[in-house]
Amino acid sequence: MTESRLLQNFNGGRAFIITDRAVSMDVLVTALERLGVTTDAGDVVTSVSAIDPASLQPERDIIFIDGDIGDAATLPLSPVGRMPPAPVIGLIGVTAPSRLKALMRAGATSFLRKPIHSSAVYPALFVGINEYRRHRYLETLLEDQERRRRGRRDVVKAIIRVMSEHGIDDDAAYDLLRRRCMTTRQTMEDLCRDLIRQTDDHQSGNVDLQERRAK
Amino acid sequence: MLNGALLATQEVNESELDVRINPFICNPGGDLAQYAAHALCLLQQGIRHVVGCYTSSARKEVIPLFEKHDGMLWYPSHYEGFESSSNVVYTGAAPNQHVLPLVEYLLQNHGRHAFCVGSNYIWAWENNRILRESVVARRGSVVAERYFAVGDTDFRQVIAAIIAARPSFVFLTLIGTSAYEFFRHFRAACVVAGIDQAREIPVASCSLSEPELEAIGGDAVDGHLSSSVYFCSIANPDNGRFLQAYTKMFPDGPTASADAEASYNAVWLLARSAAAAGGDDPRGVKSQLVHQRLDAPQGRVWIDEPTFHCYLTPRIGRSNRNARFDLVSEAAAPVQPDPYLVNNSGRFEAAPSPALRLVS
Repeated sequence: MTESRLLQNFNGGRAFIITDRAVSMDVLVTALERLGVTTDAGDVVTSVSAIDPASLQPERDIIFIDGDIGDAATLPLSPVGRMPPAPVIGLIGVTAPSRLKALMRAGATSFLRKPIHSSAVYPALFVGINEYRRHRYLETLLEDQERRRRGRRDVVKAIIRVMSEHGIDDDAAYDLLRRRCMTTRQTMEDLCRDLIRQTDDHQSGNVDLQERRAK
Repeated sequence: MLNGALLATQEVNESELDVRINPFICNPGGDLAQYAAHALCLLQQGIRHVVGCYTSSARKEVIPLFEKHDGMLWYPSHYEGFESSSNVVYTGAAPNQHVLPLVEYLLQNHGRHAFCVGSNYIWAWENNRILRESVVARRGSVVAERYFAVGDTDFRQVIAAIIAARPSFVFLTLIGTSAYEFFRHFRAACVVAGIDQAREIPVASCSLSEPELEAIGGDAVDGHLSSSVYFCSIANPDNGRFLQAYTKMFPDGPTASADAEASYNAVWLLARSAAAAGGDDPRGVKSQLVHQRLDAPQGRVWIDEPTFHCYLTPRIGRSNRNARFDLVSEAAAPVQPDPYLVNNSGRFEAAPSPALRLVS
């Protein structure tokens, strides 16, 4: 898994703007247009409930949320990283902590101060979108680590079994399992889980790695 | 730059246009700290339109003031893009009108290995980034990227490095005296090393103009590539008239250049828009500006409404012994400005060098 490159050209993007003062968003819409990001009239809405989260594309869509509106609805957030389904950029009017907190909770990764200044839009997109992508990358790393942590028990079991069945020490057993992972292109956790499940199913108690490797 | 604006001012005042320009000249002398004070002084006198600023750093200094006082800056210099202030009209080239055509030309005609030498500021950094992206996309390489303080003139080390590396070309973003010294020393060092510099390691840049060639002078003046929307050598009647009037007004030079042409165009666009708007109110001028079509020395130019940058015609010239440029490439028609390279760059930054490590 490699960290993604920085996104710097937002051409082809689509912006949703959640605000109750659509008229004051002209500067934002025009600035976005210059960057190749389109906003249809129907994409400026008063509540996130008007957006279908399932239809959002994180690689294309950008959501601007006005911090001054009291929107009861929220976007669904991912379980591990608390990430919204597409990058969110907060529009800040009132700077009281409650309003800022609401934007942070919505997953905003960058902000624009109202009234919006057109030259601030490109840097806000650049930071917001790339920060979102970096968070998502870290989230996948974290999910992967979690999955590995859950598989730890099977790895320990598999090492102990291989040690006792082949009469080797833990380093040699680990090495055997690792080589097997490489030939079968599986992760250590998946391989060990399969081995443990298999031997539990067959009750044979024999983990014949040598034979499997030869295949 | 000033000369181009003054010539246009005189022409406007002698023309039938229902507008007269009374130029007020102030000179911050290239000292960044002076720009804001001078701009404020102009704006507070009630001057609404200012033509000028050469470097990006200078422009960035004054833009907030123009926005605050609702004045308009007519910026007549090519620059690195990624900006669009609603109080600025950009009449010089955007990166897709000078950097990208040059990179394209170099990759097609000279090879894929670039050596970048530049002055240490935004213009050089950003141009080198654009070059790197294009070169990497074509599986070429940037052999090295070296920066020098503005005004530095000792290039012995980097010239030795270039001669050792033998790149396909040198991409030069040095400015002013630094650039002139580099051209002279590089040519001399290549002569010593038995290299036909202009043919084997040409130096290409987006800022080299005719007056600068004269400043380089001597044996180092020919064979350099420059990308610009204007060269004196453009053969059309409008340019002929422009050059004749320019030489008459400024017989002692400096020679007309892209910057002179861009400020000349800026003043003409301003005058025509103000005449159409019936006053100098920035809003009125801007709304009329988008309707103007100017037959400029470089050919027809007009303003792109979304970005307030200019449609211009990219050209590439190779300098000759007379300190002029021979055109080697020219766009068929004026090119739409793309200051954010929305239509002219990849979605992602250029691939970084792979971070591979030896695992066993």
